[in-house]
Amino acid sequence: MIKRLFDWLKQPLGLIAVGIGFLALFSLAAYGLYTTQQSPEQPIQFPHQTHVAFGIQCLYCHPGASRGPAAGLPSQATCWGCHEQIQKTYNPDSELRFLLAAVQNNEPLQWVPVAMVPDFVQFNHRAHVAAGRNCEECHGDMSRVIIAENPQVMNMGWCLTCHIDAAGDDQEKLIKLSDCGTCHY
Amino acid sequence: MSEQFSRRDFLKLAGVGAATTAVLTGCGPASRYVKREPYMEMPEYTYNGQSTYYATTCRECAAGCGLVVRTYQGRAIKTEGNASHPLNLGKTCARGQATLQGLYNPDRVQEPSTGDWDAAIQVVADALKNNQPGEIAFLMGMAPDHLFDLVSDLAGATGMNAPVRFGALGMFEARATLSKAAENLFGEAALPYFDVGGAQVVLSFGANFLETWLSPVSYTRGFAGLREAQTKQRGTLVQFEARMSATAGKADEWVPLRPGTESLVALAIGRLAAEMRGGVMPRAFSGVDVLDAASKSGVKVETLQHIAEMFANSAGALAIPGGAALGQSNGLEVAEAVLALNALADNFGKPGGVYLSALAPNQAEYHRPASAKEMQEFVQRMTRGDFKVLFIHGVNPVFELPKSIDFKSALSGVGQVISFATFPDETAAEADHVFPDHHGLESWGYQRVVTGTAQPVLSGAQPVVSPFYNTRATADVLIAAAQLAGGRFAQALPFKDEVEFLQSKVALLMGEADGSFVAPEILTFMAYFQQHGGWWKNSDGRGAPDTASALNRNINGSMAEFAGDGEFFFVPFVSTTLAEAGANKPWLQELPDPTTTVMWNTWLEMNPKTAHELHIENDDVVRVVSEAGAVELPVYLYPAIRPDTVAMPFGQGHTAYGRYAENRGVNPNDLLGQHFNEAGDLAFAGMKVRIEKTGRKQNLSRLESMMGVYGEGMGEEH
Repeated sequence: MIKRLFDWLKQPLGLIAVGIGFLALFSLAAYGLYTTQQSPEQPIQFPHQTHVAFGIQCLYCHPGASRGPAAGLPSQATCWGCHEQIQKTYNPDSELRFLLAAVQNNEPLQWVPVAMVPDFVQFNHRAHVAAGRNCEECHGDMSRVIIAENPQVMNMGWCLTCHIDAAGDDQEKLIKLSDCGTCHY
Repeated sequence: MSEQFSRRDFLKLAGVGAATTAVLTGCGPASRYVKREPYMEMPEYTYNGQSTYYATTCRECAAGCGLVVRTYQGRAIKTEGNASHPLNLGKTCARGQATLQGLYNPDRVQEPSTGDWDAAIQVVADALKNNQPGEIAFLMGMAPDHLFDLVSDLAGATGMNAPVRFGALGMFEARATLSKAAENLFGEAALPYFDVGGAQVVLSFGANFLETWLSPVSYTRGFAGLREAQTKQRGTLVQFEARMSATAGKADEWVPLRPGTESLVALAIGRLAAEMRGGVMPRAFSGVDVLDAASKSGVKVETLQHIAEMFANSAGALAIPGGAALGQSNGLEVAEAVLALNALADNFGKPGGVYLSALAPNQAEYHRPASAKEMQEFVQRMTRGDFKVLFIHGVNPVFELPKSIDFKSALSGVGQVISFATFPDETAAEADHVFPDHHGLESWGYQRVVTGTAQPVLSGAQPVVSPFYNTRATADVLIAAAQLAGGRFAQALPFKDEVEFLQSKVALLMGEADGSFVAPEILTFMAYFQQHGGWWKNSDGRGAPDTASALNRNINGSMAEFAGDGEFFFVPFVSTTLAEAGANKPWLQELPDPTTTVMWNTWLEMNPKTAHELHIENDDVVRVVSEAGAVELPVYLYPAIRPDTVAMPFGQGHTAYGRYAENRGVNPNDLLGQHFNEAGDLAFAGMKVRIEKTGRKQNLSRLESMMGVYGEGMGEEH
């Protein structure tokens, strides 16, 4: 049975079938990869650009970035502090109806993480802010995007390139910044 | 090309394709599928993006270790030991680490069986009001906590039956026997505290103190002290028991004596040691014949002699009775014989010796949990119809008591059964109502530390997260129901809620001297209480036993009696990780047993020599028959057990209790008959069983490789 299948697969038609199968697998893989690089759907299509345009600092909503490992999400009270005074918030057609409903029902909005590193990587925002890095160097220009996007492929090469650049000619710094234990501990 | 395209190549290509697809699609951050919920209102002490830590008490067993739980945006992320807590000094056991899996367990009871809490409180209020106080009973878990105090107060004021505390751990530790022996020898029914850390030579008779016994985290710390830290010299541990437990595995010497001969061995060692010391032979040891003891116990005379020599010549000798050694018909005698060894070593109230455990700051005397005998009487009262209402909290007696005592059937003799279970366990399944309590990490409370530390400790608990489901603290339910019932009930519990009750109790500590902190008024005191994870005294609160009578007692060395007509001694032991309530947590199920490395199942330990004679191989399913029942389970060939003994862990065999625990393994309690020792503890290690082959095989999941174990997998059967 299997022998006959393989005999058939060696025929031109069979080879085409193998080719099609291979292409299907490849497309599926490519699609799978593509989806991981897309911004996820969020409960509110939060317009970062609008907030940046009003001059609101990143750290106003994500103050954890300067203090510790995680930047953190603003509590809904932070959103509401401004939005309860803004007429548009009460417009039933705007995206803000979700915020209004969440505040009225006292239910938290469920945000979907965008920039993630695996559990075996320890990323600390504080060290990077302290080293003078700006948010947009990694997270991209938020004045241009609606939902936060991930403009980088966040892999080890990308981290290391930056770490090595930052060390420059300083050998001691290079050793510190390229040590495995800097991020994997 | 088609000529070279072999089947092998095709498979390779297909494999590579499939793997690529799997890897590439799987590369996406899995965490993306975990939604993030910010706070509605950020608590004032919380910074965005930073963790908040809460000190509380572990509720996974009754020891009362302090925990510090890391939370992030309102979720509990990790539990660790509280480094300041005198009992565990920053350590936890596996069960403490896995407590998060109870919190997030998908099978928790999510709302009261009445649908809403007003109806539930009405049900409880009616139960209190419409019955005679003497017809209302409370059955609670082993921990002496605030809820026990609340129910005791309620019972005291209204004439209801005083609450009964029970737990399988207490039964398998034979706590009643230990405290009865202390009463006989020291004149005080206290729980002895054994200072393992300060000793030089420790003889343990069945006490598996590195696993589950009394306060395993604290005793493990003591063991570390024995090995190096405290005495600057490596101490020695000798373990006497028929199967090698994890504690025996850590010991310098494991003495596999014949079950039931522990008192003979202890007395023989005492006699030999007393002879070596010279002087008058103490009365306790004078009746024993060393040669006879050696032949009955199967321990060589030379072994007895060399251990006695070690014991007699050490400046810090300590002997500990516990576990299966006491869970026999002559358990009380074993406990007395072993405690008498300590009298010989003259170590009472000295470093490395025996003390009476420090009482908690708000505790007048040691209050031990009910023995199995007392539970049997409780069950008889249930069957007779003495109780119209039974409240159950923190214990699962349908699973934890021997099947032969038959708690389940007795429940039908009770008019109304109200369970406050967090999980749909076997007992909750039989209840008329289930009014779920919060999980321990969502709860207020305090718990007395019964033993394990020199300092008197009241361990504090507070919610580290908001309740996930529509659950309510049992204390709150009882307070609200008592108010609704009115009269004496309302007078007994004149509190707004659980926190006010806690404050009323904790306030009594404010005047006490020598505490870990002081505060001028109750709100500050409570704030410190939460911040520190409890309140403890800085001084040593242990008592020194009175040694006068210990050596002058007449102890008749006798052998235990065994029930049943099987050819094997049956030794049930408590699973280090699962015990009475761990089986619903996958982390604990997945954690290999420390000696056999078996996971997710129950096994029967049998010596390879015996198995060979019976033509039984690894993983063969056998039927174990005792006078009380029978179970079927696979065999694990275990060289570190006596050939005449079989052993089985307690922890599996749930018929309810959520998806991870249900229908997995068997319960050794099904084999236990109703035989008790003089102190009322169950003679659980006093059963004999028969082994029958079933002809079936069931592969045990285990961490160790089968390859090379007794020649298995190497092309030769034996």
